Amino acid sequence: MALFRYKDSKTQALADHLNETAQRQFTQEELFQFAPYDPDAGERGGYSGYSYWRSTLRAFRKDRTAMFFLCVIALTLLFTFLEPLIPYDRQPNTIYYTERAEINLFTRQPVLDENGDPVVKVSLAKDLAPGKEFWFGTNTIGQDLWSQIWAGTRNSLAIGFAVACVDALLGILVGVLWGYVRKLDFLFTELYNVFDNVPQTLLVIIISYILRPGMGTMIFAMCLTSWLQTARFVRNQVVIIRDRDYNLASRCLGTSTWHIITRNLLPYLVSIITMRMALAIPAAINNEVFITYIGLGVPLETPTLGNLVEAGRKVMSEAALRYQLFIPVIILATITISFYIIGNAFADAADPKNHVN
Amino acid sequence: MPNKDAILSFEDLEIHFTLRGQILRAIRGVSLDVARGEALAIVGESGSGKSVFTKSAMGLLDANGSIAGGHIWYDGKDLAAYRTEKEWLTIRGKEIAMVMQDPMTSLNPLKTVGDQILEAVLLHQGLRGEAARQAVLEALAAVGIDDAPRRYRQYPHEFSGGMRQRVVIAIAVACRPKILICDEPTTALDVTIQAQILDLIKQLQKKLDLTTIYITHDLGVVANVADRIAVMYAGDIVEVGRCEEVFYDPKHPYTWALLSSLPQLGVKGQELYSIKGTPPNLFQEVKGDAFAPRNPRALNIDFVERPPFFEVSPTHKARTWLLDPRAPKVEPPELIRHLRQQGGSRHV
Amino acid sequence: MSDTRETLLEVRDLQVTFGSRRHPFPAVDGVSFDIYKGETFGLVGESGSGKTTIGRAIIRVNPVSGGTVRYQGEIISGKVSREVDRKVIQEIQMIFQDPMASLNERAKVDYIVSEGLTATAGHLSEGERKARVEQALSDVGLLPEFASRFPHEFSGGQRQRIGIARALIMQPKFIIADEPISALDVSIRAQVLNLMAKLQKERGLTYLFIAHDLSVVRFISDRIAVIHKGKLMELAESEQLFAHPLHPYTRSLLSAIPMPDPVWERNKQLLVYDPAQHHYSESNPPLWKELEPGHFVRGSEEELDIYRKML
Repeated sequence: MALFRYKDSKTQALADHLNETAQRQFTQEELFQFAPYDPDAGERGGYSGYSYWRSTLRAFRKDRTAMFFLCVIALTLLFTFLEPLIPYDRQPNTIYYTERAEINLFTRQPVLDENGDPVVKVSLAKDLAPGKEFWFGTNTIGQDLWSQIWAGTRNSLAIGFAVACVDALLGILVGVLWGYVRKLDFLFTELYNVFDNVPQTLLVIIISYILRPGMGTMIFAMCLTSWLQTARFVRNQVVIIRDRDYNLASRCLGTSTWHIITRNLLPYLVSIITMRMALAIPAAINNEVFITYIGLGVPLETPTLGNLVEAGRKVMSEAALRYQLFIPVIILATITISFYIIGNAFADAADPKNHVN
Repeated sequence: MPNKDAILSFEDLEIHFTLRGQILRAIRGVSLDVARGEALAIVGESGSGKSVFTKSAMGLLDANGSIAGGHIWYDGKDLAAYRTEKEWLTIRGKEIAMVMQDPMTSLNPLKTVGDQILEAVLLHQGLRGEAARQAVLEALAAVGIDDAPRRYRQYPHEFSGGMRQRVVIAIAVACRPKILICDEPTTALDVTIQAQILDLIKQLQKKLDLTTIYITHDLGVVANVADRIAVMYAGDIVEVGRCEEVFYDPKHPYTWALLSSLPQLGVKGQELYSIKGTPPNLFQEVKGDAFAPRNPRALNIDFVERPPFFEVSPTHKARTWLLDPRAPKVEPPELIRHLRQQGGSRHV
Repeated sequence: MSDTRETLLEVRDLQVTFGSRRHPFPAVDGVSFDIYKGETFGLVGESGSGKTTIGRAIIRVNPVSGGTVRYQGEIISGKVSREVDRKVIQEIQMIFQDPMASLNERAKVDYIVSEGLTATAGHLSEGERKARVEQALSDVGLLPEFASRFPHEFSGGQRQRIGIARALIMQPKFIIADEPISALDVSIRAQVLNLMAKLQKERGLTYLFIAHDLSVVRFISDRIAVIHKGKLMELAESEQLFAHPLHPYTRSLLSAIPMPDPVWERNKQLLVYDPAQHHYSESNPPLWKELEPGHFVRGSEEELDIYRKML
């Protein structure tokens, strides 16, 4: 076994000698003779090979709960996109009818026609409980809930991701400039104060009146204001680190603002930004639910979790129909909780203080 | 068994940290007695384990650190066996108090200085009402803060660095501890303030019959305050002796190196002495004398076997094979051979 | 004596004010000094004295609110042309106090050291850049293979040398060292000081060495200026300052230097400086006078007379 290890080849010779010394049998006299000395040898020191991202991943993987929810969210995502492929051919927007034997209300026997066959009546397949034919049942107008729910989840996630992406892009860009370029600070702060005081709901209402309601409008309306908060958040983070010595050093070296932003600031912020994005997705989905609740959501022909929850809420008072509320709520809760826990676990894992274990 | 004369006694203490799955042996079997009423200085480079060593006596090790062996005797109790916060609270502050390097981190920025001292007074001195207030004012005056009634109502940010450190000391002392640990108490302060703070601690020690333990990387600072010095390297004490013994007759090559590197000893136009290299990696087993790879005067045996303590005098011992009768005679470096005579003629 | 030496940097009545317009706080107040080519100029003062601000004002990080800074005869304070700005970036470099805070933790040493090249020598090929980084690293006694590591792999002394390599790669003429060793263990301070001395000898560098501790600057400075609350108190050749400290503040700094000698320490008398002792007034204003060649001190006429007798 090598007792003394060095990373570079140049000192390997000395290291070998030291190892030899350590393992050799000395005579009593030799033991008390001077050992060879290389003043540079100690310079090499230990090399731990620590990497920020590897340690972040390591710490994250150790968090069992977060890993569980990561799997949950991954499976949910995967499933929403694979769902159209499974052999269950119901369309989300089709209104289904059922053929059912007519029952005599008094005798509780099937009504028979002249040939002795049961009379079959075609009726709207509405409010059917989950079962073999309609896995998640049907809603009040006879649409298949299973396909509606997955299409809705797909749409809601799309809204969430789209809003989060725009949020991140605009928020980071504006936030970094706002925080780092001192000349912009005053102007941006004033602009922020003005825009931040416009209630988001009001803005959404106005936009839904002006534009044709739909997914695009919804995303546009939500993006219009949400990035402001992100920008402010990023700005505050940048202000905290912009005057650290290493940034000052970069300025003294004539490094361009662009390089300072991309090499000095963003790498430090990437963990908290990622966390914020992880939380922005469920926030946008929930926001959509709220906007639908106040009646400004996406039209009904586009299923979203908001539409589904809202539809379920309307029939909530009837115990037999509560499945129409519970199923979308469970999906919504799973997505929200998963993202929340993953986001928090990632923030913890990204903190170098937690890289010790 | 604990030494009877010692107020605090470390016995074969081993402290381990787990870091990214590896075990770091931060303290490697250290025994040290702290005598009642003395001022002991523990001197070493950063990473030598000097802070960890003393923190272990207050139950302040980081979550990934633990006492892996040995004992810490205090007042007939073995602190190394303490596990719960509740047990530690009977010691921390009450019996052993600590003054840290940065006063701002030990003070609550949202509370007035007076209230922070008052808390300690209420908790530990059993005073109430006006009597407690008077005790706070006295505590402020005792640490050399003028105009105590006005200062009582001020917040930490209204104090200068030196004044803040005085407040921290006032809080520590208000708990009436037996032992005061000062972890680099002056490193963050200006030179002129440094001397004043050290003076203050010295006075308080005499007045309140305290035992003080200083932790520092700067041997130059402790000449003034320490009765005894323990030099620590790579988790082990390599030399311990009375202040004069360590300064005027150091035995371990590491102590020589520490003394030689003091900038006060530099000669203009000449290269200053510096210790080459970096301390050993404590994740790996240290064989022999940990300082050997950086020691130009290392013997072959230093790489093979850990040296035992050789006694120089009843109060002075050092862990170096150079003190073995079989070892060649090695003189300490010229630079530090005459510290006694040098000091007086240096400036002014 | 000073006539024969070439002035590299000239600071005249420098004023740097922080705070708002309503509550201005003068961090540096009417400071004047020259730095000669090839010398080490020590600037000593406690925290909040304005010493760091002066360094940052010279390198154009802190805006100047009054007075001028001239570098090789050219004004570099206030609004300047692009060429002058380039020149300052090329020729004046800075070494920072805290080696933990002054290196970008998320970048490899390779990037950190070559950072200055990307801005000023964009035409370099990758091979040339690598070669220059390796050269800079070996100039400061580090191994070329360190280039691929992250800063946290290194000890404080090594990190400080990475910081020096980053400055050196610009081939500067003038380096502002802002307390380059105060954050380091005493045992490795000499590594950095020796390196700085060696580089000065080899390349004819000029240093402004900022410190809070007189014992440190004594052995590397040719001249030392003592600053207190934004104003210079005394300026002299370093041996002269140690032999004949005139201003009471200088004397208090000297008395506070801890000595590695227990007997001497136990008998030492601390001098405490109280600014109230001066009794300056409109009719008795403090002046900045040269009492012997190269030895300036601040004091009223009355005080200066006393100082003269002390020489």
